[in-house]
Amino acid sequence: MDANIRIAGEAGQGVQSAGELLTSAFHDMGLHVFSTQSYMSRIRGGVNSYDIRISDEELHSGREDCDVLAALTAESFATEKKNVARGGLVALDGAAGPDALSLDMTAAAKEAGGARMVNSVAAGIVFALLGYDIEPLAKAIGKAMSKKGEETVGANIEAARRGVALAAGHEGLVKAPVPGERRGELYSGSEAVGLGAATAGVKVVCSYPMTPSTGALTYLASVADRYRIVVEQAEDEICAANLICGAAYAGATAMTTTSGGGFALMAEGLSLAGMLELPIVIMLSQRPGPATGLPTRTGQEDLLFAVHAGHGEFPKIIYAPGTIGQAYEMTRRAFESAHKFQTPAIVMTDQFLTDAKKNIPELPGALDPVDAHIETAPGADYVRYAVTESGVSPRALPGGEAFVVCASDEHTPDGHLTEDLTARKAMQEKRMRKAALAAAEAMPPEFYPEPDETVLLCWGSTYGPCREAVDILRAKGRKVCMAHFAQVWPVWAGAGGALEGRRVVSVEGNSTAQFALLLRQCGAVSRFDSILRYDGLPFTGAEIARRFKS
Amino acid sequence: MSGTAKLKETAWCPGCGNFNILKSLDAAIDTAGLDRKRLVMVSGIGQAAKCPHYTDANVFNGLHGRALPAATGIKIANRSLTVIVASGDGDMYGEGGNHLLNAMRRNIGVKAFVHNNQVYGLTKGQASPTSEPGFVTKIQTKGVVLEPLNPLALGVAENCSFVARSSSVMPEHLTAMMAEAIKADGFALLDILQPCVSFNKINTAKWYKERCKELPADYDPSDREAAFAAALKWGDEIPVGIIYRGTRRSFEDMTTALAGEPLRAFSG
Repeated sequence: MDANIRIAGEAGQGVQSAGELLTSAFHDMGLHVFSTQSYMSRIRGGVNSYDIRISDEELHSGREDCDVLAALTAESFATEKKNVARGGLVALDGAAGPDALSLDMTAAAKEAGGARMVNSVAAGIVFALLGYDIEPLAKAIGKAMSKKGEETVGANIEAARRGVALAAGHEGLVKAPVPGERRGELYSGSEAVGLGAATAGVKVVCSYPMTPSTGALTYLASVADRYRIVVEQAEDEICAANLICGAAYAGATAMTTTSGGGFALMAEGLSLAGMLELPIVIMLSQRPGPATGLPTRTGQEDLLFAVHAGHGEFPKIIYAPGTIGQAYEMTRRAFESAHKFQTPAIVMTDQFLTDAKKNIPELPGALDPVDAHIETAPGADYVRYAVTESGVSPRALPGGEAFVVCASDEHTPDGHLTEDLTARKAMQEKRMRKAALAAAEAMPPEFYPEPDETVLLCWGSTYGPCREAVDILRAKGRKVCMAHFAQVWPVWAGAGGALEGRRVVSVEGNSTAQFALLLRQCGAVSRFDSILRYDGLPFTGAEIARRFKS
Repeated sequence: MSGTAKLKETAWCPGCGNFNILKSLDAAIDTAGLDRKRLVMVSGIGQAAKCPHYTDANVFNGLHGRALPAATGIKIANRSLTVIVASGDGDMYGEGGNHLLNAMRRNIGVKAFVHNNQVYGLTKGQASPTSEPGFVTKIQTKGVVLEPLNPLALGVAENCSFVARSSSVMPEHLTAMMAEAIKADGFALLDILQPCVSFNKINTAKWYKERCKELPADYDPSDREAAFAAALKWGDEIPVGIIYRGTRRSFEDMTTALAGEPLRAFSG
């Protein structure tokens, strides 16, 4: 049993705050929650929406339709009314036709103390329509607004109560799941990436703000004192990439966060990290392009760009977490791999995953730094780029007994620049031996529930929707499974064998099935079908199941 | 420990101003009493940017124009290191101009020694951001029409800790300025005028010698208005010396997470 609640209104009306309040309240009540956001690239006006899906079972994705629509403007009502499920209810602030309950939310907010609290009124209405007692909502308001003072808290609780009063006569008209025990903690994808980085021991974070990556940066700034992290806003992404290279060289675990356009500016710095063999981590939160594209929407269009980013050839490791829990784990793993192989690692997320919120088992918050693999006692004959069998050279830090010399030009093992072409060949081969090493440790995909005749192939945030689609299709007797890759580069060597003899349907948030093409390039698949979405919105399980053709 | 500049190994043209700069750098490192193991020389790309390779120090020779972000990252990671950038005018004032502005704004404790020969060397003679109007090159065939960048005035405007000018034609003065820059807290910009024997036939060693004149003994570098006037002076007389000393605290001192032990002290 699940219900989907959608708050829709203009930017600046507090749609997001209302969504977060409801998410927090539902979670505290003991419901499973999965929240997603859809917003425009503006600060005021337009139509933004916040979905909170609740259930008595674990949820993995959002829904296209909703059971309750709280529309704060006529425009948002016009946009969203077609998406109201059968049996659903619409509460509209202002005059409405027969399709909606006309409730004067703004007047109620004014009575409670100010029109700005219209979002709290809407939250109260939602609670009433679902037949829930308002206390958990009042508590959530207290928690979220405590810093703003008792007066604000009191006024907003009053606004929520007035919302309940407005909905009188309609209480419990929408079927809602029965709350159970409070389960796990709520995290957004941004928070999970940030917490993963903070616990992994990141010490320098340097980024230029860019939606949808800013959430992780903001989270890291909020915990900077706790974990002793320098969070510095760069003048541009070129600075960010080069600054973290410098920090990594001097021994600080370092990362940057960005989206496609900023990542494009970082490409030269990425190549520098490859050449200097520096362990840097980049969180690349995708949005649709090309160019500025749809700044606040979601997409999975940068996979092949990321795989090939940076001039020249150098090893690179790319993770693509599928869930909020994986966002934490893969971020930690990115730091581990970057240090182990002394090369850049990328964590690919997107607007859907970074903004999504879900209750998951509590993530460990204690500092648990990854092994930085530092050579602490370099001898008198130490050279930074010793040619080794594994390709990994002992990494000492400047400030110790040995000089640490590095150059973006080709260099001899001592790090000084060279045009000796024999030395060049040896050095290139040394670097690329690390790529082979990283490939040998690549992660296999997760099959859900188990390998079957047809495979829904996916990577990154498509995990949840695909998994839900598999459940729907299997309930109808279809022999369908999911194969989700949380590491997309290097590709796991067993991919070909695991997919052999199965029909592959690639489900991706782009228009060219980039991951399937990558697997084909690696020889892991030959033929595939695809279900693609590139309108800027995330997949839902129901949508994938509907578009699936046997 | 005295430096052993690897002069014979350089990729520089005979007579290049870089030789004197390297010698002065070596002397200044010793004058300032630096432990070379705790010194990181940082550069971007260009002929001047090869300078760190010819010093006895740790070296981070990064990308064109990006020496300052890398140096900033190094200083943040381990503030106990001395971080000196030695790179050219194209690298620091052209490709990396935005980073220069922001290094000044951050007032990060990095010392930028800019080898300024008013021309691009490694790409063979195009205009640099400090080339004078009318300077003819194979690209600027009718002469440069852009106003030259004034790095010293920018330093004064951004109120960074230390702004100075010297020249490779006055090596003792240069050594003294480098040592002062190293000692200064916060960001230090030292603009070093130097001849390019291959591509700049206008601003030659003789040209600089005739014009570079030390600031008067009673000049007060803490006077910001006087500093602007000195920074703007160019032509028959070019002032050299400490143009400006700001009083802002360094980025390291203003950043909570950098209080106490270095973020990554060398301890393993």
